Amino acid sequence: MNALPQSVLPVEAPRARAAVPGWARLGFVFGLLSAASIALWGPIGVSSTYPRLVGAALRWLVPGWAGANAYLVKMGELAKPESFLVLGLLIGGYAASRLSRQPAPAPAAIHPGETRSALRYRDAFIGGFLIIFGARLAGGCTSGHIISGITQLSLSGMVFGAGVFATGILTARLLQRGGR
Amino acid sequence: MDRLSALLVGVAMGALLQRVRASDPGMIARSLRLEDLSIIKFMATTIAVGAVLVSLAGLALPMHLDIKPAYLVGVLGGGLVFGVGFGLGGFCPGTCVVGLAEGRRDARWALVGGIAGALAFTLLYDLVVAPLLPLLDLGKVTVADLLHLPAPLVAGVMAAVILGAVAWLPTVRGQQRSS
Repeated sequence: MNALPQSVLPVEAPRARAAVPGWARLGFVFGLLSAASIALWGPIGVSSTYPRLVGAALRWLVPGWAGANAYLVKMGELAKPESFLVLGLLIGGYAASRLSRQPAPAPAAIHPGETRSALRYRDAFIGGFLIIFGARLAGGCTSGHIISGITQLSLSGMVFGAGVFATGILTARLLQRGGR
Repeated sequence: MDRLSALLVGVAMGALLQRVRASDPGMIARSLRLEDLSIIKFMATTIAVGAVLVSLAGLALPMHLDIKPAYLVGVLGGGLVFGVGFGLGGFCPGTCVVGLAEGRRDARWALVGGIAGALAFTLLYDLVVAPLLPLLDLGKVTVADLLHLPAPLVAGVMAAVILGAVAWLPTVRGQQRSS
């Protein structure tokens, strides 16, 4: 297993100081996009595609069982607009990373406990499990509840966001301290 | 048409998330340690701009709103579970897809974990989850409904508070961190 470097901020190339920071420009564009999405077809959301993908696989492997599972029936077929949004994320993420001509990012430790790459992958796996389990319990994720939900002034989005940042901040801080 | 619109929105969203470096789990960890707020400010700006536009457009156009129900036990409990995973893995359900497209190896593991999480959720749904969902269910309610105020007014005030906080807070914390 390779030793992992700690994740660090990249060195910015010296250039004229932009009047508007990147996050503000990109956030403004994302706000236009999320509003346009609600005008065109519906609010953006990602996490529902995961159980729909699992459902599609189970309907193929064990059709009888999958047809009787209340959650898979509730979530419906994979051919929903949200699945196409997730396909778009793959295309857009790939195009943006290629256009910026950066090499594929090597995994870097995000807290001091990740001393080997295997530990980074373990944390990514467990983290991935928990974000989808939590998102499906709540009925949405960062995009569906926090971005789209609060954009529509929904109470559920604000409650979900408060929960995410409460344990998110706590977890990140404990991991940073625990590694020393 | 809906599918094409969703695909195009996804392409733009994927590029935005990549550019703001939301798909970098190290950036998420720094956000949650409140060392670098650029991604949190990006999300806050998105919400402020979107909320004003959606509430105003709703006065003139038919909008495809979809308010999620506030079943408080499930929504808050799910948020708390999500936060632990977010802090540990540094990915959210969308950014790990973008990370996969960028060629991040840890994003692949987050995706596999997410699929395992969806499978576990599906298996446990009838036994554990379905009984929890009706608890403290306030339904599909917005803050404008609760306050009995027009949505554009609530959205405008919320956007002003968010953008004020975003402008006032420093983006990157000074070098006063211990070690």
